[in-house]
Amino acid sequence: MRGSAFDELSFFAAIQGSGARALLIGRRALVILGLPVLTADYDFWLHSEDIEKLNEATRPFDLEPNRSPDDARRSGRYVLENDEHIDVLVSDSRTTVDGVKVRFEDLWSRRVSVDIGSAKVFIPSIDDLILTKRIAARPKDAEDIRLLERLKEAQDE
Amino acid sequence: MSDQRLPSASAVEAATRFSNRRLTADELQAYVDAPVSEAERQEALRLIRWFKTRYPTPAERLSYAQRAYARWNAQQR
Repeated sequence: MRGSAFDELSFFAAIQGSGARALLIGRRALVILGLPVLTADYDFWLHSEDIEKLNEATRPFDLEPNRSPDDARRSGRYVLENDEHIDVLVSDSRTTVDGVKVRFEDLWSRRVSVDIGSAKVFIPSIDDLILTKRIAARPKDAEDIRLLERLKEAQDE
Repeated sequence: MSDQRLPSASAVEAATRFSNRRLTADELQAYVDAPVSEAERQEALRLIRWFKTRYPTPAERLSYAQRAYARWNAQQR
């Protein structure tokens, strides 16, 4: 992994320019907000109609989808990869481990726009990021929820 | 020189599977609700303040994350 230089700012600018409704979730969103956590991958939650737009935008970065758009819609996720690994969730909704339905449209309507150099990246609100962590519900997601709670506290100081 | 043996591929796979398992709702809640000592809380807040002061923009924070991962990855080899 990481054999070639990857221009992250151009990558985000390309996604923004494509018009794809893509929310950056996962630990990279936590880093943007101010949590110094370790992460290797990129995680997006994408509107299911925008798979082709995202694939087209990321092709110049030699990122190859591991599934066709139709297969990705059926399975609810796919991966874009070369030296980088981009996990893409494409479901209209997911359910948290305690049974709360989380809809992409709701998260998108509450999205936060962040300037990354000359590009904009859309991330969920902190409370919505916590909801996405409750979907995956791995031990590291539990740890991230605790960190996000501290981040909220820090923002209230 | 110490005689350190690397874990087997199956042991690594089992550990990965364990750390990536989906917790039950009760397990997740118990973890999230575990009491935080005042020292732990202050340390987390101090770390957040340091990170946001040292890297004031999102672009700088992302750049830090890339460097941190590259360092960590190099140490694993």
